[in-house]
Amino acid sequence: MIVPSPDQLVEDNASILAKFGYQPYGGADEDWSSMWALLKGDFTTVDMPEVPDFDGLSVSQKEAAKIYMRRRLIADRFFEECRCCHADLHKGVDTEQVERYTLARDAYEDSVNHFGEAREKLAEVLRGVYW
Amino acid sequence: MKTYDKGDKLPEHYKECLINLMTFQADSEYAGAQRVAENHRFAPRPEEAYRLSKKVMEEMGHGYYIWNLLRDLDVDVDKRLHHLASNPENPDPRIVNVINGFRKENWSAFFECWEDVALFSTVVTPAAVAFLGQYRECSYLPWARVNVRIHKEEHGHLAFGVWASKRCIEFGGEKTREFMQERIAKFMQMGLGFYGRPSKGDGASEMFDIYHEYGLKVKTPEVLQAEYLELLEDRLTDIGFEVPKGVEPDYDMRIGYGTE
Repeated sequence: MIVPSPDQLVEDNASILAKFGYQPYGGADEDWSSMWALLKGDFTTVDMPEVPDFDGLSVSQKEAAKIYMRRRLIADRFFEECRCCHADLHKGVDTEQVERYTLARDAYEDSVNHFGEAREKLAEVLRGVYW
Repeated sequence: MKTYDKGDKLPEHYKECLINLMTFQADSEYAGAQRVAENHRFAPRPEEAYRLSKKVMEEMGHGYYIWNLLRDLDVDVDKRLHHLASNPENPDPRIVNVINGFRKENWSAFFECWEDVALFSTVVTPAAVAFLGQYRECSYLPWARVNVRIHKEEHGHLAFGVWASKRCIEFGGEKTREFMQERIAKFMQMGLGFYGRPSKGDGASEMFDIYHEYGLKVKTPEVLQAEYLELLEDRLTDIGFEVPKGVEPDYDMRIGYGTE
């Protein structure tokens, strides 16, 4: 859900972006708590065996957790594109389809790397290291 | 060394040898990706699962690169892809040419836990990096160019192995490090055997001299072994492991089903 900023300049920025296709997200917000329950095992190291539920995170930890989870959602979209390209290669291997698949999996790789970077950042924030 | 580019007329025996090596690489890349996909079940955490999924996509991509070149050499690559996709557990050696180590019955015996998955990329992948790296300088230029691309990506898989091993230790502590140290030797056997028997003496590969003369294999197994051990020692030390002593190569894991 979009919460408009009281500062009109920020809202004006949204108007400019809209000229290039930006649209306010109209759907329901993600169920961050349920997603976090599936992902928080990424952080339970020897040094930090207990990781709080989403509701138990501080405001900044929640934000870092949402960034991490959004990175994962983006990776999921690129994964789907890879699967689609892969299916098309089964109709016949040729240079165009191989290059298309390469582009798709490169993008997937980048998105997984971004997911990993967000995990590292969140791990720091969970330990109280902010920068 | 005489070289050939796309569209050049290839001597008959040279072409036969080239197709043998290229199909061996392409089919094995794809079959290897299928084995990696099976290992997905061991992924203990989200990021491990995503990174392994990415690796599957990459290895399959390597198969596609080479198959795409094999089309120019009149090889029916779609048949090979469809066969592997339909028969992942026991592909027919008369249709595809897969490295022995990537046969499910051989592969499965090596993997019991996620630590094994991490160690495979740490200990065996350096052998693939060294072995396939030589094709960047081979006499068939389209294959050489594609292997420049593949070599770069295989380096990424090495990084995955180091990352995954360090994560195992981060989550499991010293006990896990010791557990993994004990398991390095079984993978090192496969790594040492990856590039084939020594080029001289008893048991030398009959085919090596021909491939070498044609400029298809440009490095001797001895040179590749030295490159492998240098890479391996560097990576194991980085993680905090030691290189095991007295490990003997397992040459049976590299040969194709129906070749040599």
